[in-house]
Amino acid sequence: MADIRVERLRKVFGPVVALDDVDFSFPDSSVTCLLGPSGCGKTTLMRIIAGLEVATAGEVFFGERNVTGLPPRKREIGMVFQYPVVYKGINVRENIELPLKSEKLSAAERRRRVDEVIEVLGLAAAADKDVGRLDNGTRQKVAVAREVARQPRIILFDEPITNVDATAKLQLKRAFKELTRRLSQTIVYVTHDQTEAMTLADQIALMRDGRIVQCDAPRTLYSRPADRFGGWFLGNPGMAFFDAELHGNGTFLTLVSALVPAPLAVDGPQLAPGRVTLGIRPEQVLVSTDRVPGAVPARLSRKSVQIGGQWLLSLTVPGLDERAFKAKVGPEQGARLPESGEVFVALPPASITLFGPEGDRLPASFPAASAVAAD
Amino acid sequence: MSEQRAGWTQGLYHAVLWLIALVFFAPVFWIILAAFKSSGDLVSPEFRFFFTPTLDNIGKVLAAPNFNIRLTMSFVMSIGSVLLAILIAFLAAYSFSRYRPTGTNFIMFLLLSVRMVPAPAVLVPLFLMYSALGWTGSFLGMLFFYVMFSIPFSLWILKGFLDGVSLRFDETALVNGGSRLHAIFRVVLPQVKPGLIAAAIFNLIFVWNEFIFNYILGGQTTTMIPYIFATGLKQGGATDWTFIAALSTIYVLPPIVMIYLFQKYLLVGMTFGTVRGEV
Repeated sequence: MADIRVERLRKVFGPVVALDDVDFSFPDSSVTCLLGPSGCGKTTLMRIIAGLEVATAGEVFFGERNVTGLPPRKREIGMVFQYPVVYKGINVRENIELPLKSEKLSAAERRRRVDEVIEVLGLAAAADKDVGRLDNGTRQKVAVAREVARQPRIILFDEPITNVDATAKLQLKRAFKELTRRLSQTIVYVTHDQTEAMTLADQIALMRDGRIVQCDAPRTLYSRPADRFGGWFLGNPGMAFFDAELHGNGTFLTLVSALVPAPLAVDGPQLAPGRVTLGIRPEQVLVSTDRVPGAVPARLSRKSVQIGGQWLLSLTVPGLDERAFKAKVGPEQGARLPESGEVFVALPPASITLFGPEGDRLPASFPAASAVAAD
Repeated sequence: MSEQRAGWTQGLYHAVLWLIALVFFAPVFWIILAAFKSSGDLVSPEFRFFFTPTLDNIGKVLAAPNFNIRLTMSFVMSIGSVLLAILIAFLAAYSFSRYRPTGTNFIMFLLLSVRMVPAPAVLVPLFLMYSALGWTGSFLGMLFFYVMFSIPFSLWILKGFLDGVSLRFDETALVNGGSRLHAIFRVVLPQVKPGLIAAAIFNLIFVWNEFIFNYILGGQTTTMIPYIFATGLKQGGATDWTFIAALSTIYVLPPIVMIYLFQKYLLVGMTFGTVRGEV
């Protein structure tokens, strides 16, 4: 067992709380991405797991073993940094082999391991080159290969592909995906890039202000964010938020918003009348030139084409605050829409997420959803 | 047209550079020629380009009293002290670069200031210290002096280089199961090899050519070749120019060979490692 467990982990740098009593468990043999904006404490958490940073309080366990007081070299881990660490003056093969030399391995076994990682990471063409002649992307592959060849039970990646150019990034991402598919190690991968996290992770732990706010499979995290932060941080652009109100008594509630033409019946265990926040992903907003059922009039102020041919629209809805919000539509539909002018928007009830006054998601369902669509 | 002019200007530049280089090389050339001239050829009123070369002068130098001891000392002192100094300076630079103790910059400045004071100003206090310790004329005393003499410069160069080596190297080594010493010597040290070479060359030249401290603090068995220049200068009441020329020629050979082989590191040394160029 090589799951990583941290208990009430706290780290303070002067007045800054980098980790705020984090309790978390990284499951064995899977890839967990620590995702969050810069300065949220994700790198600090990883460095404490590696033993490169000492926690102010709290404990770290690998399986049943308490490693809190152990120096990094006794933790049997591998780590790859943002900066590609390669040893100058020796070739790729020797770079990968160097740490193996201090382990009790036969020359044949060392060779087998080196050949294996060279093959998996596609380094064959560079194997006998001096590392000084390699680009950053390949250097990073060498750094990864060196860690993987040691076969530790835990491998930590600290933003390994942030420092490489766009093409190399794509290539590295593909190599990592292939690598993680073949490895059975526990992998922690720190990144601030959500696409990277979505591609590589078995589960994503979303961090904010020194806390892990949610940990779920990428799809779940995207479609069911635990709070407004998750909705806002994930997606490009993130969720659009609107003020709304819940009307009614304890048994029968309706959602009232300028974005729905008629109050929408809503059901949920924790719901109570009052103000709520309505959230929706930009690509789930339906935009058309015709008044479809459930739609309200809106004003399209700008449209622009995005990567992949999708269109990004800036919209305002009368009666709502004048702030523009974003919607995303497919290539054909986007092309059909005018540059600006009157359009209609509809929010499919199934895509609506409700957040309470504290920003946490309120479990809610819209029983009349089908009725609205059929109306 | 403009290309032609550019070619013409460049030609002029090169001619001027060659001229300056030759002017600077002239005294060295004169000495090398003089080493193979007879006294008569050397002191003749007009400069003689053509003469019958002789090895007598070289032979005389090699037969000079204690020449072998002096030459051995030159090598032992230079190489020994520089190796020791670089080991110490590297470890010190590592601490300064990685742990940044309070006052790092001030300490670095203090260390260098030792080398800024003119030698005569410290000569007497140092002599008194050495006398009190009973170190005058002792081998280790002399060696330690040159170690001390070589540390500041090496420290400055190496700190510059180590600051350029990412902390991730150390951390990778530690995570990969290495001890701190493994990280320092097996992982970080090879990354600053150009710095080590630059520091070594500079200090080798300094120690190789040092005279005054060697003359005052050293004894019969610890003085180096420059000492012979002072004592062997006069021969029968007159300055023995052929002897000086032959000794200079012999003594200047090792540094010239070394500088020729490692010249790309010289700029690094002269700029305290702030200009690293291609090395």
